[in-house]
Amino acid sequence: MARRVAVCAVAQTGFVSNMWQKRFQQMCFETVESIVKQTGVDWNEETGIRNIVTCSDDVFDARTISDNGITDAVGAHFRGEEKTAQDGINAIAYAMACIMSGHDDVVLVVGHTKESQTESRNMCSNLAFDPFYCRDLGLDFEKGAALQARAYALKSGISETQLAKAVVNARRNAAKNPLANARELVTVEQVVNSPMLCDPIRALHAYPVSDGAVAMLLAAEDKYKEYTDKPVWLTGWSNCMDSYFFGDRDLASNFSLKKASAAALKMAGVSDAKGAFDVVEINDAYAYQLAMWAEGLGLCDENKGGEWIESGILETGKINPSGGMLAGNPIMLGGLARAAEAVIQLRGEAGERQVAGAKRAVAQGTTGPAGQHQAVMILEN
Amino acid sequence: MAKYFDVSVEDIFNTMEARFRVEGAKGVNAVLAYDISGDGGGKWLVEVRDDSVKVAKTDDLSGFSVKTSADAETFVGVNIGKIDGTQAFMSGKIKIEGDMALVAASAKMFTRYSLPKKSAVTVQGIFDTLVARFQPQNAAGLDISVGYDITGEDGGQWTAVIKDGKCALETGLRDNCAVVNIVKAKDYIDLILGKLDPMVAMGAGRLKLKGDMNVAMQLPKIFAKFEPPKEEEEQELIVIKRNISVDMKYSTGPVMGKFFEGLIEKKILANKCPKCGRMQVPPREVCAECRCWAGDMIEVGPSGTITLIEIIYYSSPDPLTGETRETPYAQVHILLDGIGTEETFWHLLKNEDLADTKKGDRVRPVWSDKRVGSVHDIIHFERIRD
Repeated sequence: MARRVAVCAVAQTGFVSNMWQKRFQQMCFETVESIVKQTGVDWNEETGIRNIVTCSDDVFDARTISDNGITDAVGAHFRGEEKTAQDGINAIAYAMACIMSGHDDVVLVVGHTKESQTESRNMCSNLAFDPFYCRDLGLDFEKGAALQARAYALKSGISETQLAKAVVNARRNAAKNPLANARELVTVEQVVNSPMLCDPIRALHAYPVSDGAVAMLLAAEDKYKEYTDKPVWLTGWSNCMDSYFFGDRDLASNFSLKKASAAALKMAGVSDAKGAFDVVEINDAYAYQLAMWAEGLGLCDENKGGEWIESGILETGKINPSGGMLAGNPIMLGGLARAAEAVIQLRGEAGERQVAGAKRAVAQGTTGPAGQHQAVMILEN
Repeated sequence: MAKYFDVSVEDIFNTMEARFRVEGAKGVNAVLAYDISGDGGGKWLVEVRDDSVKVAKTDDLSGFSVKTSADAETFVGVNIGKIDGTQAFMSGKIKIEGDMALVAASAKMFTRYSLPKKSAVTVQGIFDTLVARFQPQNAAGLDISVGYDITGEDGGQWTAVIKDGKCALETGLRDNCAVVNIVKAKDYIDLILGKLDPMVAMGAGRLKLKGDMNVAMQLPKIFAKFEPPKEEEEQELIVIKRNISVDMKYSTGPVMGKFFEGLIEKKILANKCPKCGRMQVPPREVCAECRCWAGDMIEVGPSGTITLIEIIYYSSPDPLTGETRETPYAQVHILLDGIGTEETFWHLLKNEDLADTKKGDRVRPVWSDKRVGSVHDIIHFERIRD
């Protein structure tokens, strides 16, 4: 049996739309400093951190091999460091694998993105598409999401009001999260009357441009006590890729998320997602995704995401207590920030937004056009 | 005609007009001169004007915009991609006079010379298919061995053993062959492909048959005709060109930001690690070794001592402007006065100082009149000669 892996601490910069005061290196460094302060971890080559897993995006950082530019800030000087692609939740999984395999005892995870550094994040995500067809046709992650939102609405019949309620919930929860970016309360009327960005996605359906960094310290079950007395265990994980080309995909099928979810549940020994989680953190970059990913995670029945939003579950405060991605995390950190909130909740440190007696949480991460990459992590205290 | 890598210098120039790419020569009006020395060399003028090209062999290279001189082997090697052009230039095998940028631009004006295709048919390839081409219905009752002695480069010896309606191929010649074909490899391929008539070849003594002529006459029936593998035409496929750019704005933060502000005031600021005292210029927030915040700023220099000098002869074009820096130019590492440790500052050296500057020489910055808080606020460093 592989060693169990504990999250010992998380640190996040606040998320804001333009962190102009700081280079992204400083954003990273501040989270690492916080981890050191919380845990007393050091860089002793025998007993401390000797491996750092990072997540960043080359285009947003405007340099190739973007991790090379942050090695000093993340403490990787004269240490091992590796960057993961896709969402930062993959960095947690990689660090987890390093520990489960016995290769490392303590691993630091650091993710950062500064969306504000670019003229337009859509220009950056346009570069994620192939240069022969899709890029020239103007696809970017927002347009890709709109196609998926349309396909999902046609399939499930989700209503404008239900979509708006997803945003209302995000803001209501974010108002209690001092780290969140978009914290102003909104009403259903404001959302349904907000300008159309890319039909059917309205301005308030989209996550705000955001900057920020997240760090996390992971340790093996026989080492965690040196760093925390409130370990959060990583008990389930999986990820799955869908096709790159939209034409090959059924955009409303949730195919890759269902696969990832089923495998993560199996690893954690959970038979049914419904009712299994005290805290659910969904990577909802756009309002429709709260409902659609909830279906993919198995939290509600197929095509019932809209009804699930109106079922009263949002009012329990258990769904995206952080405010979710809709309250503003940058691309690459959607899943990593979801997992960070899950840890905070399971440690009982979520203050005003604390879900009482939280025992088990699920965090979902996604990257790529219209959720091409899907990852699911299950955490327990 | 002397050939290098199977290509002559003439081949390169004779195909140049056909290899011209109008889209790569937009706005170019220039005369490219080539002085190619050695066997097969000569002088050529390539005139690119108004989206067209003229290539002429000449004795008079005057009036060129840029002249490339090289020996024939280097010239051919670079043109067909067998020799690295940059290295050849650096080692002095290629000399360039005049507008250097045109040499880099000429790579866009012409598609690369490609070698005419060699025949894909080999003697080995022919024998590899021999057994498959055996026609048992035409070999009923035969119990013979047929020898092949294919001479010269890529030749070899084989024996086809035909018995009981089956054919086996062995390497080497059996002693009991009914007939042995003796022929040069190249002629054998031509015979098989029908390019050389067997009677003509025999008459000229290029094909010798030792043994039973009657068996030799039956061979075309015993073995079906060799079908050469189809050569796929190398098609020129479309290449899509794009210049990707996204406007960016970079925060400098409280440490590097102060450094850039200092440049406006003609000050060079370093930061110092509060733990180990290491200084960094340009300054960064963190001391990588101590993993601590290093925000203390200290003015250093502006003069210093060169610790490393690097002269660049072949400059890459700037990807955004397409402009190529004038060469040669020098980058220098400078240990600024007041830096107590080993961390050096990196900048350019004044071109006039290129010839006689070395490690250990003293330099000072030459400040721009219009300073905005950028690395170009210092134009370059110059030697202190007084």
